[in-house]
Amino acid sequence: MDEVPYGALDLMVLKTLDGLGPLHGYGIARRIEQVAEGSLALNQGTIYPALLRLEQKGWIASEWGMSENNRRARFYAITRAGKKQLAVEADLWSRTVAMMSRLLEEQS
Amino acid sequence: MMRVLWSRLRAVFRRGALDARLDEEVQTHLDELAAEYMRRGATRDEARRAARREFGGVTQMKEAHRDRRGIPLLETLGQDARYAARALRRHRWFAAVALLSLTLGIAGTTTVFSVMNGAILRPLAGRDVGELVVLEPQRNHERYLLFNPEFEVLRERQRSLSGMFAAAEQPFLKVEFPGEPPSYVRASLVSGSYFDVIGVRPAAGRLLTGSDDSVSPDTPCAAVISESLWNRRFARDASAIGRVLRLRDKDCAIVGVAPAAFAGHQPGSIPELWLPLRTVSERRVLDSQTLAFYSGVMGRLNPGVTRDQAQAELTTLYREIQALEPPLPPTIRQPPKPSELSMRVADGSAGLHNLRRQYGEALTMMLGAVALVLLIAAINVANLQLARGANRVREIATRLALGASRWRIMRQLATEGAVIAVAGGASGVSLAVLLTPVLTAMVFGARAAALDVSLDVRVLATAGAATMLTAIVVGVIPALRLSAPRSSRSLSLGDRSRDPVGSQRLMGTLVVAQFALCLLLVTAAGLLARTSLRLSGIDLGFDSGHVVLLEIADETPGGSQSFSAIETPETKATRATAYRLAEERLSAIPGVQSASLSWYGLFSANDLWTTVVDPGRPSDRREAHVNFVSPRYFETVGMRMSRGRTFTGTDGFEAPRVAVVNQALARQRFGTRDPIGAQLTPDFPGEEDRPVTIVGVIEDARYNSLRETTTGPMMWLPLQQAVYRINSVDLRVLPGAEAAVSRQAAEVLRSVSPYLMVRGSTTLADQVGRTASRERLLFRLSLAFGGFALLLAAIGLHGMLAYKVARRTREIGVRLALGAQRSSVVGMFFRDGLALAVASAVIGVPLALAAGWSLRAFLFGVAPRDPATLAGACGVLALTVLVASCVPAVRASRVDPVVALRSE
Repeated sequence: MDEVPYGALDLMVLKTLDGLGPLHGYGIARRIEQVAEGSLALNQGTIYPALLRLEQKGWIASEWGMSENNRRARFYAITRAGKKQLAVEADLWSRTVAMMSRLLEEQS
Repeated sequence: MMRVLWSRLRAVFRRGALDARLDEEVQTHLDELAAEYMRRGATRDEARRAARREFGGVTQMKEAHRDRRGIPLLETLGQDARYAARALRRHRWFAAVALLSLTLGIAGTTTVFSVMNGAILRPLAGRDVGELVVLEPQRNHERYLLFNPEFEVLRERQRSLSGMFAAAEQPFLKVEFPGEPPSYVRASLVSGSYFDVIGVRPAAGRLLTGSDDSVSPDTPCAAVISESLWNRRFARDASAIGRVLRLRDKDCAIVGVAPAAFAGHQPGSIPELWLPLRTVSERRVLDSQTLAFYSGVMGRLNPGVTRDQAQAELTTLYREIQALEPPLPPTIRQPPKPSELSMRVADGSAGLHNLRRQYGEALTMMLGAVALVLLIAAINVANLQLARGANRVREIATRLALGASRWRIMRQLATEGAVIAVAGGASGVSLAVLLTPVLTAMVFGARAAALDVSLDVRVLATAGAATMLTAIVVGVIPALRLSAPRSSRSLSLGDRSRDPVGSQRLMGTLVVAQFALCLLLVTAAGLLARTSLRLSGIDLGFDSGHVVLLEIADETPGGSQSFSAIETPETKATRATAYRLAEERLSAIPGVQSASLSWYGLFSANDLWTTVVDPGRPSDRREAHVNFVSPRYFETVGMRMSRGRTFTGTDGFEAPRVAVVNQALARQRFGTRDPIGAQLTPDFPGEEDRPVTIVGVIEDARYNSLRETTTGPMMWLPLQQAVYRINSVDLRVLPGAEAAVSRQAAEVLRSVSPYLMVRGSTTLADQVGRTASRERLLFRLSLAFGGFALLLAAIGLHGMLAYKVARRTREIGVRLALGAQRSSVVGMFFRDGLALAVASAVIGVPLALAAGWSLRAFLFGVAPRDPATLAGACGVLALTVLVASCVPAVRASRVDPVVALRSE
């Protein structure tokens, strides 16, 4: 299992919220784990500093709500600025990945 | 970026709420996870453990969250400040000494700067004052005069300025409000463009404009009054506008009120009345090349024009105009060549520079001295902090061992210094608010009331900067030193005697710096003390004790106001009668021993020279001071006769014309011949061919300045024979009668004529003292500063030595146990002190010499490098060192070897 690459967690959170709508921290963590299919060593706690970071930048917003199991939980939703940022980051990410794979193929 | 900063800043203050929110989120998360595990069949405990595992370290996460959320620096700063305040409360003595010395240091700096700000720096209450400039006519780079015709042509032809005005001060303008006796008003005669150029709006009515400069002689001229005059005389009644005032031979109608916020164009002088200069002056005077001149000319730069460009243009024009002028009359001894002239264009945002010229240098000196005192105080606190810190070596070592970073410890120590500095700054500024009016009054006397020395942004910024520098000295120096990593042995018990040698060396350096700066201040005080002594020890040539002086203006209408105009014998005879009556009645006032009237008083800054011709040799025309005095003048001021007689009542208007001269004139004109009986002709308009016979010689005296090195030739004529308007009444009184006599004298003069108006009263001693007031003020302040600085340095040295003794108690114990004499122990510490004193002197003497050099303009009768003063200052320094070393040295000698050895 691998460490989460730098910056990837933010992108994952944004993408998750964009796809699934407002979610609480636990929900976000679970969703990322599901998608990673065990290829990621994620301490679920690490998403909270990431959520704070995104909220400070204004890319996500949060409010209190009730979870499916009737627990009070903080729900996070992507903002309009967040969607823009997601588009930018996703594009950057795919170009980086494409570039990296070309580079690695040439070298080998 | 701003957004993140803002949310972080907010978080600093909402810490509790945000912590609670995170706690709740984490709890929910863990509960959800545990519930999931339980659904899969785990027991409650297993589920909880698994949830924890999957979540990862809760505490680390929270810490990371907090660091991201707020501004950690700010939060620990608050912590440090609280800790520092607690630490200071525990060390009351240290805190008190530190706080007191910094308070005084910052209060001194702020006070002097406030005064300087009010007198020199505060901008005029106008529009865009940065564009205002002062035009200073110069001849060979010395101040020169600009006569009205030159001013007008210059104003006409220049292109650099959008407006330009001249202003002349009339501190005593006689004004008659309808139906009232004449009174004095402080007035400014200004060009009509004055208010437009400065950019002032009226409080009521309108202000002067360019068109007020040219009104026909029979319509009343325009006058603007100040808001305070409006309040005082008219109770803010709008009907004041339109009222007519009578000035000499002209009527002026009030057209408007200038706002109270506008305090005129010159700090230290707030006019109550503004009149258009051109309209109230006589045409003849305005057109003359010798009569109406201005030392106050200001303008506003056109947009985009720099002061240098304006200066180049105006200088060129000024020279051109001068070249076109007809040659000046011979009264101006050497008419200027155009190439000698220039027009300096200086910053005018603070108005005319009169106060800066007079006091700028003295205030700068004072500011330098107080800044030094503050520096010494800050060094002193840093030193005490070091001494205290050395006792905290173990505390610091413990904290380092427990994982605090050096940076963190340093920050905490620096915060302690900053807390003291900020507290000192706050109380210093409060104290400065109280001290500023006192210093203003000391420096400016009667003019203080016209200066606004209140706190403003500049003063607060300066106080802030002083506090910040103090914080750096007080906080950072000890912090750097004390947080230096040490061997972990510092932790071990019994290591108290292990000396942080670095600290001691640094403390020594700081003490040396303090004493070196002290030497500078003490030398300056010494030089100024000797100057003051020399000035007060001068033989004036007259007796200034118990003489009341009244400054008089004879405002009787008719005749001429100007000295250079010719008056009829009838006018003079009438005046002579009035003056004789005044003299009689003044002599009858109880307490008056001798009364006299004179054209001008001693030390009244009248520096008028008149050509005196030898009738036997008409080509022998040399200049002398001339004064007109009543018979008992010499007796009143206590001048000593050398030969012949003084005037008597029989030297009247019709009697043969006589004169008394001083020794300098007798020497200059007659050499060794006897001047008594010789004749001279003072070259006054209308009296050119009426020689006077010398009947007496008076011993030389100082007439205008204590610093006069040679006495100029002087001639006195009987007032009754050449009756000009008097300016001074002199009364020798019985000791203690000064105040009562000066009051009664004013009444007596009023009874003789309502037009003999009293402008002010003083005593001859004060009048003389005023000319040395700057020197005395600087002396008193430098004495106070020097004394305070020495006290601080002594405290610093004492602190350092006491610390050393404490460190070395065990060593001393061993020495004593091995048979050392107590005197040798005492000597050890005295030697330490002395070594510091010598080092301070080595550094301080060049500083002191530099200080003497920069004070040279204020010194009198003592050289800037006077060796005796310097030696004296070194002596004072040595004595202070000796006294400060005494207590610790004696304490060292009292160490009981048994106790010292056992305690370790």
